[in-house]
Amino acid sequence: MTTWPTASVLGAELLKVRKRWMPYVLFLVMLVGAAIQIWLAGYASWQGDDPEFQINALRTFTLPWSLAPLLDSGQFWGAILVGILAASTVATEHTWGTVRQALIRGQPRSQYLTAKLLGIIVIAAVSLLLALGVGVAFSVAATAAANLPITLDIPTGDGPSVLGMALMVLRSGYGIVPYGLLAFCLAVVGRSTTLGVAGIIVFMFAESIVLAILGGIGGLAADARAFSIGHNVVALLAVNRIGGFADYNAFAPRDRPPASELPDPGVAALVLALYCLAFLAIAFWVFQRRDVHA
Amino acid sequence: MPGATTDVVLRTVGLSKRYGRLLALSDLNLEVRRGQVYGFLGPNGAGKTTTIALTLGLIAPSRGHVEMFGLDTRAHLAEALRRAGAVLESPSFYPLLSGRDNLRVWAALSGGVSEKRLDEVIDLVGLQARGRDKVRTYSLGMKQRLGLAAALMHDPELLVLDEPTNGLDPAGMREFRQLIRGLGQMGKTVFVSSHLLGEVEQMCDHVGIVKQGSLLTQGSVEMMLRRSEALEMRVTDPDVAVQVLAALDWVRGVKREGDCLTVEAPRERAAELSRALAEHQIYLFELRPRDSSLEEFFLEVTGDNVANR
Repeated sequence: MTTWPTASVLGAELLKVRKRWMPYVLFLVMLVGAAIQIWLAGYASWQGDDPEFQINALRTFTLPWSLAPLLDSGQFWGAILVGILAASTVATEHTWGTVRQALIRGQPRSQYLTAKLLGIIVIAAVSLLLALGVGVAFSVAATAAANLPITLDIPTGDGPSVLGMALMVLRSGYGIVPYGLLAFCLAVVGRSTTLGVAGIIVFMFAESIVLAILGGIGGLAADARAFSIGHNVVALLAVNRIGGFADYNAFAPRDRPPASELPDPGVAALVLALYCLAFLAIAFWVFQRRDVHA
Repeated sequence: MPGATTDVVLRTVGLSKRYGRLLALSDLNLEVRRGQVYGFLGPNGAGKTTTIALTLGLIAPSRGHVEMFGLDTRAHLAEALRRAGAVLESPSFYPLLSGRDNLRVWAALSGGVSEKRLDEVIDLVGLQARGRDKVRTYSLGMKQRLGLAAALMHDPELLVLDEPTNGLDPAGMREFRQLIRGLGQMGKTVFVSSHLLGEVEQMCDHVGIVKQGSLLTQGSVEMMLRRSEALEMRVTDPDVAVQVLAALDWVRGVKREGDCLTVEAPRERAAELSRALAEHQIYLFELRPRDSSLEEFFLEVTGDNVANR
């Protein structure tokens, strides 16, 4: 049974993470990514001559369209960066030997891991939301620079409501969780930052390639994608498409099939939840039974 | 007997640990009572660190169990550990945090410790001038001191120390010994592992000796020093003298090296010993007490004195 960490335990966890350079570097990477997407893939591309490119570019940098590509890229790269943060946060405690210091003070092992997870979640959520906020600010600035109206409305009807935008953010964030937990699980099991970081990067790119190949083969192979994390994440993100349009420039290297080819979002959310539970169960089971040496 | 149970602060019951084919610890039965400063002695690789890791729940026993404050740690580990403090061999800290922030992190896990108490323990271990510096700038000796501060800050009833003077300079070792003796006088129970016999002799009132994963003996230091008492002598007929002395029921052992005999017997019985020899027409050239020390006893118990000769 997990003993939930107290506020002071969580505070100590956040203090440890805050004093490291890693979260700040990862946050900076997110900001740079948002800037490139809005200004380069959006605003600069829009100034080209090809009308088809212009449509894609316009939906990349102007509000409210820009929310979908920001959240699409944010989910993919956010998952990698959160994976790096999770792996590093967990495994360096083994490298430094500080995990022993925590356990000999009577902190239950389940509480130790739970505190780690909550710390990672808080830091990741704050960083990603800040990066999204900066991305939206870039979008407003770029829209203004293009002399276009700054509005949440779209020509085919109402744009997303505030609640709708919150749900978009939640769907994107939820798409990050299984990858973060995979890195967390790898780092706990392997006691290695390298394993967690390399594992999550290799997994995400390999998964994208395999899913593209399976989609190309079609038939049963294409149906098998429904068991993957990536395909279900895409199903969730498809709900984020404003007006149903998927033609925008995002930096997530994956297919954006029509919503009709994707699993039901509810089922997708359930599949992702099962992956999350599996990764958590493995991490807690291994850590609970492990001999912790010097 | 509830009274007896609570008087025993730390007990291991048939504790064993196996790593594959290697039996690191075999059927260890230790008992540390309230207020004792207990030295856990053994050569390197004897199983001292394994015992401490098992005691603190860092590793799981292959057999047996640990009781702390009368609580079976298989079911009440967290509860027991909150009443204990420990300094592990080469203690680990967050290098990017200051010494004080490291203590704050550990304090949160111990249920919270006031800033005033942090000041006290930082002063106690002599780190007041460096408490705000990052730990990555600390020497090994300073880390040991910080480890002790972390172990003491929640005022534990039991202190478990694994080779705590590693990395300390002679002055630091002396201060540390005084500190441990002071804790013992304050009624704290201290369980300290070491391979430094002189250090343990000066610090501890009880000792357990472990070798190759097995407990060879345990008891008070005073008793062990008495057991290591011996008389050294040179006599007219060593061959017969060995037989005469070995026949005395209060002589624990007789060793011969050339014409010199070492008789394991209480010093106060030297006159009786002389008389017994004289009755067999054996006379003394020389008789002197051998210095009794924990080291002598340790070498005798572990058999290393024979091996070394």
